[in-house]
Amino acid sequence: MNKEGTLYTVVFIFIVSFAFVFLLSMTNQATIERVRLNEEIARQSAVLSAMGVEATTVEEIREEFARIASDEEEGLFAGRIDGRTVYAKEMSGSGLWGGIFGFLAVTADIQTFVGIEIVDDNETPGLGGRINEPWFKEQFESQRIPDDGITVRAGEADPERGIVDGITGATATSNAMQSIINRTVEQFRSPEIRARLEELAAQLASGGEV
Amino acid sequence: MTPAITPFSLLFASIFTSNILLANFLGMCSFISISKDMKSSNGLGLAVTMVLTVTTAVNWLILQLLQTLGLVYLRYIVFIIVIAAVVQMLEMIIDRVSQTLYMNLGIFLPLITVNCAILGVSLFMEIRNYSFIQSVVYGLGSGLGWWLAIMALSAIRKKVEKAPVPPGLKGAGITMIIIGFMAMAFIGFGGMLQVQ
Amino acid sequence: MSDVDTRPGAILKNNLWTSNPIFMQVLGICSALAVTNLLTNTAIMTIGVTFVTGFSNLTVSLLKKFMPRKVRMMVQTLIIAFYVIIVDIVLKAYLPEISRNLGPYVGLIITNCIIMGRAEAFAQSNDPIPSLWDGVTSGLGYMGVLMVIAVFRELLGFGTLFGFQILPDAFVPWTIMVMPPSAFFLLGIIIWVGKAAMNREGAPA
Repeated sequence: MNKEGTLYTVVFIFIVSFAFVFLLSMTNQATIERVRLNEEIARQSAVLSAMGVEATTVEEIREEFARIASDEEEGLFAGRIDGRTVYAKEMSGSGLWGGIFGFLAVTADIQTFVGIEIVDDNETPGLGGRINEPWFKEQFESQRIPDDGITVRAGEADPERGIVDGITGATATSNAMQSIINRTVEQFRSPEIRARLEELAAQLASGGEV
Repeated sequence: MTPAITPFSLLFASIFTSNILLANFLGMCSFISISKDMKSSNGLGLAVTMVLTVTTAVNWLILQLLQTLGLVYLRYIVFIIVIAAVVQMLEMIIDRVSQTLYMNLGIFLPLITVNCAILGVSLFMEIRNYSFIQSVVYGLGSGLGWWLAIMALSAIRKKVEKAPVPPGLKGAGITMIIIGFMAMAFIGFGGMLQVQ
Repeated sequence: MSDVDTRPGAILKNNLWTSNPIFMQVLGICSALAVTNLLTNTAIMTIGVTFVTGFSNLTVSLLKKFMPRKVRMMVQTLIIAFYVIIVDIVLKAYLPEISRNLGPYVGLIITNCIIMGRAEAFAQSNDPIPSLWDGVTSGLGYMGVLMVIAVFRELLGFGTLFGFQILPDAFVPWTIMVMPPSAFFLLGIIIWVGKAAMNREGAPA
């Protein structure tokens, strides 16, 4: 058969493409469950981290997460940590380049932050991307929530007035974090969400299935 | 979730503050070799801009299809085939429309298929979840940014050619250092984008 | 390139030093330079590149007898994309954290000029085993240079190596090292040092 002929070329391309795509779909199928599990663990780990619970290994994460009452559909979580009730909620919004997604945890009276955790962001590495650095996230631990929301501004940190340090040179990202967090606090304070969180907390207290 | 950035800010950001080449290191291979000559740089810059705009639009549509079919893991292969096809088609169209343009751009088009910037923009567009309009604007802006960067570099290189550079640093070495300075200068544009 | 020396030792020396893909040919820096601010990411990324270069070379060499000339480039791209997707899937399943950090840069291995370059220049005209070896050593030469850049960037930019604190707390991290320009500067300096050393050896630079 002529190696440079049209028929041969078409058949060759067809066989090669088919073989490769077949192998790829096999590999994809084989790992799809693992990828899903990884995502679940990453999510649970982020919720725990926002609530201030330490858990590093997969077993620890599973075990600690089992002690939390969760409503996965609404993205709401309630837990008893060191004797006090803590609520956590999904937060998301848009940053400079793409979505920012994470979790925000507050005390039961929604007056103080417990912590934040960022799961996914597309901000500029080294600039806006620094929202994922511990120093930024740690500022929220035990920070009081002012009635008109917090302010994120670089170089002017003042916990008393509810101003946390933003990122120098990344004003757009700092503003985005401020609005995402304040919006999530508003949601925490809405009656329906509050009621649902209280239900979850009640499950914890009664020791019911969680 | 689609980011809320306005098309205008995105255009500005992709040309200046987040230049595809200077901030994301994409499209370096042809950048270094072609930037020796200003005329070729101009031709390649135009070609990259055109291909980027068209491929990002087409790849956005294709991506929606892959997502509905649950075949997103095949996107790399599909994107690269789309890019190769668009380059090929553009070559044919330019050939019909304008012979002079074809003479100027023709040789650069095949180079573009393997230019990382093209595939890179499509992948960023996917990961950042841009809408169709945002994707097109991002493709166009990245192309213009790349064009600007290569023109600036080739102009600087013309001057540097006459400078007494240590022998080991001549060529690629000094070019990298110039690109470094350009990248620093472009970071300065960062302060301008607060219009969001 | 048909009279190329195909002894394993010669290939190794050639790819790691005398025609190192980065500092002698300045190829393929696009996809990986962006992740060089952390050593772990760089290591995983360059291992991925080495894997893809090696196996795509092997596959191209195995298929070369059956390959029609006019679709050669397309089939090579297909082969490369195949291995890159494998790397992507494996990272997602077993190293999810790193896969998230690398983001779109894994996919960009496809357009890494070194891989296509080695397939064209070597695998197309040599036997499978030397081709595999050529691909792997090219990848290693590439890895060497990028790891050096990453050591400097992570150490000075974060004060850590592989995520472990190395420099004392009193050290003020150089933010510039985390940002893109530093990668260009370091690469320029490495090319300089490499070429100067080679000039001294008397090899044609």
